Amino acid sequence: MNNILAIAKREFLATVATRAFIIGLLILPAIIAIFALAAPRLFSQKNYQIKGEILVIDSTGRITPKLQKTFDRETIAARREEEARKALSNVPPQVRQLTGNSINKNIVSELGPIPEFHIAEMPANSDLEQAKKWLNVQPKDMPHLALLVIHKDAIEPASLENPVYELYVPPNFDDRTDNEIQRGLREAIVNARIQARSIDKSTIFAIMNFPSAPSVTVTQNEQRQTVKGFNIMLPAVFGLLLFMGTMGGGGQLLNSMVEEKSSRVVEVLLSAVSPMELMAGKLLGQLGISLVGMGLYIVLGISLLSGFALLGLLNFSLIFYLIIFFLITYLVMGSLMMSIGAAVNDAKEAQGLMMPLMIVFMIPWILWLPISRNPGSALSVTMSFLPPVNTFAMLLRMTSNTPPPLWQVWLSITIGIGSAYCAIWFAAKVFRIGLLMFGKAPNFATLIRWVRSS
Amino acid sequence: MDAIELRDVTKTFGRTVAVENLNLTIPQGGIYGFIGPNGAGKTTTIRLIMSILFPDSGVISVLGCPSALEAKKRIGYLPEERGVYRKMRVGAFLSFMAELKGVRSPDLIKSIGNLLERVGLGGTAGKKCEELSKGMLQKVQILAATIHKPDLLILDEPFSGLDPVSTKLLRDLILEEHGRGATILFSTHVMPQAEEICEHVIMVHQGRKVLDEKLSAIRSQYNPRIIEFDPLDPNADISAIARLPGVERIDLGDSGYKVLLVDTGDPAEAMHQIINCTTPARLELSRPRLEDIFIRLVSSSTDTTEDRKKLRAGLAHADAKEASL
Repeated sequence: MNNILAIAKREFLATVATRAFIIGLLILPAIIAIFALAAPRLFSQKNYQIKGEILVIDSTGRITPKLQKTFDRETIAARREEEARKALSNVPPQVRQLTGNSINKNIVSELGPIPEFHIAEMPANSDLEQAKKWLNVQPKDMPHLALLVIHKDAIEPASLENPVYELYVPPNFDDRTDNEIQRGLREAIVNARIQARSIDKSTIFAIMNFPSAPSVTVTQNEQRQTVKGFNIMLPAVFGLLLFMGTMGGGGQLLNSMVEEKSSRVVEVLLSAVSPMELMAGKLLGQLGISLVGMGLYIVLGISLLSGFALLGLLNFSLIFYLIIFFLITYLVMGSLMMSIGAAVNDAKEAQGLMMPLMIVFMIPWILWLPISRNPGSALSVTMSFLPPVNTFAMLLRMTSNTPPPLWQVWLSITIGIGSAYCAIWFAAKVFRIGLLMFGKAPNFATLIRWVRSS
Repeated sequence: MDAIELRDVTKTFGRTVAVENLNLTIPQGGIYGFIGPNGAGKTTTIRLIMSILFPDSGVISVLGCPSALEAKKRIGYLPEERGVYRKMRVGAFLSFMAELKGVRSPDLIKSIGNLLERVGLGGTAGKKCEELSKGMLQKVQILAATIHKPDLLILDEPFSGLDPVSTKLLRDLILEEHGRGATILFSTHVMPQAEEICEHVIMVHQGRKVLDEKLSAIRSQYNPRIIEFDPLDPNADISAIARLPGVERIDLGDSGYKVLLVDTGDPAEAMHQIINCTTPARLELSRPRLEDIFIRLVSSSTDTTEDRKKLRAGLAHADAKEASL
């Protein structure tokens, strides 16, 4: 036991005390922090000014005045304010508080300067081909943004399926300008139709508009406003923690094993400890490292949720199961990775053997949405009992909005423990033979032959 | 009680028989040389003794235990393929190895410093292993093998890659460990090294033991077959000597002529005839070298003279390669 602890201690210190580990550990929170700080600036539209001329061929003769109105700067400003208000109603109250609970000028200004559209009209009988050539001439002070052809039946459509207008734009047309024109045009056509039917617009507005009430999540102890996306993000976050913890640990074990083998230190170690002590010590040491990383991320996650007063949304028993599933997956992944490390001669050979393993462990990620959206489906249930990916699939199901019954969870844990035992057994057999094997690159058939012969 | 005992041990790798029905007894306190050319089965035997590999058949006992695994803390082992943790500091590496060998001493760090000082590596405890030269690392590895003062020290090709000064230092260390009471088994394919240190020699070839004798007994048992001589007149015609009965051939080396006798040749008669041919300035019977004994033992089962030449050339090549390292 002392030898196992000594090896574990060396493995732990050799990794934890390195600059690479500290950087690696902090890199994810750092990337998230940088993204959170930089994203508003990166995606800010503050510096994007839409300015230019729209040429209209209006066969109805009645929509262009409405367009003049909907493309008016004040109307656009009012429309943006309304959109910002709707968007804000979907975020958690704590985030809303940060904005002062009001749609101030800063939020609207984040959407960029108010566009400056100039509407020019052409007669309804104009030559369309000639008009299209207008788009290929681009004056610097007032670019030609779009040619809008409004059909005769735009106000009284003959069919609801046929488009009532055509929009022609120059090359390299920005999608933000496109959105802004389409939005204004739609509003102008609707306004023209309302007027044509002599309906009072405010009546329709009163019928159509009412604030949507946020759904309320009811938990055992309390009830609170539902945070949209939380039920989809939670499985992803838990899956990511499990994946990163086990993949990181497994990868480290493989690298350290390859290094020990290629630097020939392994035989020196085998003179002092048995192969099993070496394997157990390395597994234990790396487990400590992975737990440090995972513990840090869990504490960070809880602090973030607590900061936004969202802690009540998290079922703490999930963290207990996360750790159980992590231990199982780590033992499976770590043992297999270590057996590969013990079998190969260098890192390049390891890539070849690692690839199929990586593909298997990527399956739950491919199935993340189908499993978390439909946790009771035959696919989800099957995957949550199928080693070695059962732990990932079960965790996705548990963090979804319809958690599985407890007996399924514990059955999956039992299957997981069984698969961990098999993985360690397999790895131990490969380990004993592979450690001192040099020369020809091994493949899976070689590994199985070693297992049979040992 | 014997330090090492092997009874009918056989180890195969696929169709290759690495060790075949090997019987070996090394008493406590002995200093044994395990010699043979590359690929003779020395490293496999040592790994079997160390329980790093396991025999297909046969029984192994080490320090009275049925497996070296039970006596690892009493064994010091320097493998042929030896390495260190390149990023680890020298002091930490030795301390780690000592811990694995069960050394629990509050003065460990201090004694590691003293040991390093003794082998000319004072002040390197804080350096990373990758900063040391190959020879310096070799010394660190030897310290790692002996740091726990083992009862049995097994060294696989310990002189490989060492310069003459380091070779002498290592030889002194081995003799010191032996003087302390440790049993020593070391393997080499460079026969003169074994001749300098060993009390007892075990020769292996193609997985089989071909000799297991005390060095003194070997010297008296194997009749010398080489006569060294220098003619008084450097221009004397020595071709007549080559035609003498019982003479196989004459080689001219740096230290003079070497007359190699056929297996049945009588050295006394040959020396008498050489004097009759030409007046010698120096004439002496060459001491039997392990290499010659090995060639003679192995080539007895070899059919052609060509095979003997190849075997000798192989050993000579190995020696030359070793010397150039």
